[in-house]
Amino acid sequence: MTQTTGNTFRKVNTVLHRDLGYFFAALILAYSLSGIALNHVDEWNPDFIISKNEIELKGSYKKNDISPELIRDFSAKAGESSYRLYDFPSSRQVKIYYKDATLMVDLEKGEGLYEKISRRPVFYQVNVLHRNSVDWWKWASDVFAAMLIIITITGLLMLRGPNGFSGRGKWFFGAGFIPPIIALVFQQL
Amino acid sequence: MLRSTTDYTRNLLVILLLMIAGCTAKPEESAEIQPGNDRKIGVLLISHGSHSETWRNTLFELEKNVSDRIQENGKVSGTKSAFMEYTEPSIATRLKEFDNEGYTDVVIIPILLTVSSHSFDDIPTIIGLKENPESVEMLKLEKIERYTPKATPHITPLLDFSDILRKNVLRRVRNLSNNPEDEGLVIIAYGSEPYEKEWTELFDKAANHVHAETGIDAYSIGWCGHIVRYSPDSTASAISRVLDKKKTALVIPSLVAFDENFQIKIIGGGIEKVDDHETRVKYKPDAILPDSNIEQWIVDISEEYAANISKQ
Repeated sequence: MTQTTGNTFRKVNTVLHRDLGYFFAALILAYSLSGIALNHVDEWNPDFIISKNEIELKGSYKKNDISPELIRDFSAKAGESSYRLYDFPSSRQVKIYYKDATLMVDLEKGEGLYEKISRRPVFYQVNVLHRNSVDWWKWASDVFAAMLIIITITGLLMLRGPNGFSGRGKWFFGAGFIPPIIALVFQQL
Repeated sequence: MLRSTTDYTRNLLVILLLMIAGCTAKPEESAEIQPGNDRKIGVLLISHGSHSETWRNTLFELEKNVSDRIQENGKVSGTKSAFMEYTEPSIATRLKEFDNEGYTDVVIIPILLTVSSHSFDDIPTIIGLKENPESVEMLKLEKIERYTPKATPHITPLLDFSDILRKNVLRRVRNLSNNPEDEGLVIIAYGSEPYEKEWTELFDKAANHVHAETGIDAYSIGWCGHIVRYSPDSTASAISRVLDKKKTALVIPSLVAFDENFQIKIIGGGIEKVDDHETRVKYKPDAILPDSNIEQWIVDISEEYAANISKQ
């Protein structure tokens, strides 16, 4: 490779790395945030805030006791002035539906669990992208993945000399393989 | 004379009316089933859905086995299968097909064991009978289409409605059992957080039936679904509880069909965590299906619903 060709290559490499980096910065941050959120899906609900409120209904009831009036009384205790419908999942329970909430009443115990659902701001939106919950987004996601590969490769080739890939870079590059290899070894044990 | 003329006129009118009626009315039997003739009834078997091809094929096989029998009496014109999530054909896809084919009524048979959020909220929300806020949001996020069919949907009871599960568990226990005195039963099921009591009661009944029929008196239950975040630990712990009392644990997966992730990875993984599992645990990674009793139940309930719809 002549010096001119080499310089041109490095210039293109730098421009690609810089501008792709700028362009995809928002998406990289969104996916990283969502990645952390979804990693902990067992410990929290990354998409929705479900506020729960236990309600004491005083006394026990039977399925036959349930009437629209009683449902309105239960609803009032949960702070709801009207309901959409109610239904019986079992003989001991009635579930009342509202616009963005439900009240599950345990008729035997006379207890209600009121649950109100709302989208978790920012996380809901970044998770929608990360999960490809928009049909065509998977293609955008594929392009994004390909661009991340380009950003990474151009990053590896960016510098020359002792701080470049051929210098200390190769050691760091190699060290990056260690954590996943350890994880895979543990998985096989 | 006057009376005779009046009688004559009346008789003539009666004869004329009878003649008109004779020309226009259909035979009595046809007249009775007339409302049913205006209807085109379909049967849709809805199951949870799975990434496992084996799982899906089992459900398609179930439909194949019951389809002709359901349509035998002429009241039902077609049967289809749908999956609630993960793969096509989805519920919306199938309901659109029924609508396009001119069906007026669809009997929906959920192939689900007992009450859960899927049976009670998700399926009714998908088909437009309910609008459970959490289901609406989750369905949107998981790209599960909601579709309100033009045909009238009729949802049947779940499998727990009959004694199918008890017979199924007993049959599978008998296949594994050699020495009931030394054995305990471990049932592993998907489970459902809001309805844990109903699930437990369902399997308590099955275990009591096994006890009455075989003498196996130790029993425990473990979950393998979302309720335990798909962890094998609940399986391991249920087995350990039985092994505290008995020499051998018979592990029965009470899941509709075989899914590698559940019967092998989660339940199998749980078994491997138990000390001496090679000698003390008996396990066949099978499922509730295939089961001829379930097939017959589907045929019977389809006929029952179709007959009622025809009478309406």
